[in-house]
Amino acid sequence: MKTTEANKKCRQIRAWLYKAINSRIGLGADWVQNHIANCPRCQRRVTSLGKVNLALSVMKSQPHNLDLLMRANAQAIGVLKHSLRQAPKARKLRTLLPEPKLLERCRKYKRSVANVAACIAILLLMKIGIFSSMDKLQTEGQKVIKQYYASHVGQELADEIFSA
Amino acid sequence: MVGKAVSCGLIWDFTVSETADQSQQWVLSAMQRNGQELVNMLWRILGNEQDVCDAYQNTFLRLAHYEGGQKPEHIKAYIFRAASNVAVSMLRSKRAEKRLFTDPAAGKEVSSAANELDSKYLQEALRCYISQLPEHLRNVVTLRDLAELSYAQVGRILGISPATARVYRCKAIQLLAVWMNKENERK
Repeated sequence: MKTTEANKKCRQIRAWLYKAINSRIGLGADWVQNHIANCPRCQRRVTSLGKVNLALSVMKSQPHNLDLLMRANAQAIGVLKHSLRQAPKARKLRTLLPEPKLLERCRKYKRSVANVAACIAILLLMKIGIFSSMDKLQTEGQKVIKQYYASHVGQELADEIFSA
Repeated sequence: MVGKAVSCGLIWDFTVSETADQSQQWVLSAMQRNGQELVNMLWRILGNEQDVCDAYQNTFLRLAHYEGGQKPEHIKAYIFRAASNVAVSMLRSKRAEKRLFTDPAAGKEVSSAANELDSKYLQEALRCYISQLPEHLRNVVTLRDLAELSYAQVGRILGISPATARVYRCKAIQLLAVWMNKENERK
């Protein structure tokens, strides 16, 4: 039990350290950017790193035909043994189309969910604000009336009235 | 008596084939579970649909014949590593073929500074360099960047820690950048 907690804490600290180090000595840090601006060798390095990242993102963004999974499945099933080729699952796989993951499907609702959450937060804050100011108003009013009674009827009587 | 023996034999044959079917059903399950991710990865490595289908077929054929039809302990790890290896060897053989059949003088004319930002050229160059990376670095790049798996998943598949996978990925990107830079200088 203790070791799992220690491991969790260790993992958290490592993540924080990674974030902290990345923000201070990552490529985006000011002093790194200043250095790059004045160092031709580093400029070349950063350019080539950028080129690799660009090529990777181009590779990722290239779409393939929608039926590629279906064709690949059909071709792969075609070389498996006869009993597997005839299985109902194989028939289903031969006509399978790619489906977006659950997170991707929910992505379109992200903005509206964020808007609703923001509205709820504003309403809660407003409610809390209204109630706290009402309480304040009540206590301040009581104080004023108590002072009025104290000055006109006497302190003792005022205390008696307001303690009840 | 003979009739009884025949029917017993038939029943026996039927049960044997049934268990054999059952034992290989996991191949189809693996295809259903990992097919999409695998096709995406292969498409990014190879960039050609027919090659993707061939590599995919080869991967599942290997899986079905793994140690005489045995189920590997970690199917996902096996599939991804096998697919990556098949795709990289296909890339290498394609490159060798290209070198054999094209005139080197013509190649120099094509590789100009204007190509630097051409997306097709960039992709081809990167594919070529990825196939030249040492195996441990190449595996991490293909799984992390092309299959878009998390470092934890990459670590699990390759049998290394996520931190090691991070370090390998960093080294691989640096090496790729150096190679790309060298090519520009050569021009």
